[in-house]
Amino acid sequence: MKAAIVSFFLLTNLIAYDKGDTISDSIASYLGCNGDKVYIIDFFASWCGSCKKEIPLISKANTAIDTNKVEIIGVDVDKDINAGIKFQNKLKGENSLNFRVINDPQNLIISEFSPIGMPTLYYVKNKKVVGIITGAVDNIDEKIINDLKEME
Amino acid sequence: MRTVVTMSFCALFLFTGCVKDVKPWEKETLAKESMKESGTNPLAKKYEEHIYFSKEASRGGNGVAGGGCGCN
Repeated sequence: MKAAIVSFFLLTNLIAYDKGDTISDSIASYLGCNGDKVYIIDFFASWCGSCKKEIPLISKANTAIDTNKVEIIGVDVDKDINAGIKFQNKLKGENSLNFRVINDPQNLIISEFSPIGMPTLYYVKNKKVVGIITGAVDNIDEKIINDLKEME
Repeated sequence: MRTVVTMSFCALFLFTGCVKDVKPWEKETLAKESMKESGTNPLAKKYEEHIYFSKEASRGGNGVAGGGCGCN
C-alpha cells in the first residue's frame, strides 16, 4: 500500500527538469542538442507578452556569442502551428529572430521540461540542465552572456 | 476496512472532478485581451467605474492583484 502511494507521487513528478537533471535521449535528439556545445533552449509562444519582449534580446545575444560553443534553440509551444509560424515570420521580418526554432504544437517537449512559468530558458550541456532562467528578465541578453562566461 | 481505505485513496486522486492543473504553457486563452479584468474596452470599464463612484460615493475593491500568468 505504502509502495503504491509513493510510486504514485513519484510518477506524477517524474517528468520535470531541474538544474542537474539529465534530459532524455529522445528529447535531446529531437532538439538536436546532442553535441558538446552549451545549448540554450528558449520556450516561447505568440500569446506570451514577455516572450515577445525577450526574443529580440535573445537574438541580440546570439550575435554576440561564439556559435561554435553555444547554440540557441527556440521552442514555439503554440498549439496553433500557423499562428506560431506567422509570429516567427513576423519576428524574422523585423530581424528579431535569428536562431533555430522547433515547433511543439503537441506540447510534448515543454511537458517534459515542465517549466513553472513562461518564458523559460534552459542551459543544457552534455544533456544535463546546467541552468534555468524563468520568467521575464530585463536585459536578458547581458544575463545570457554573463552566465556563459561563468560556465567557461 | 483495508479495501475501503484503498478505494478512498484511489477516489481521492482519480476522481477529482473538473479540477485540472493549468500549466503555464496552456494559458493561451487566459492571455487573451478579452480575459483582462477591464475586458476588451478599458475606456468603457473606466466609464462604468465613474458611474459607480457617482452613485455610490465609493470606489475601489474591483481590481485583482495579478493573474499569475506572467504573460501580459
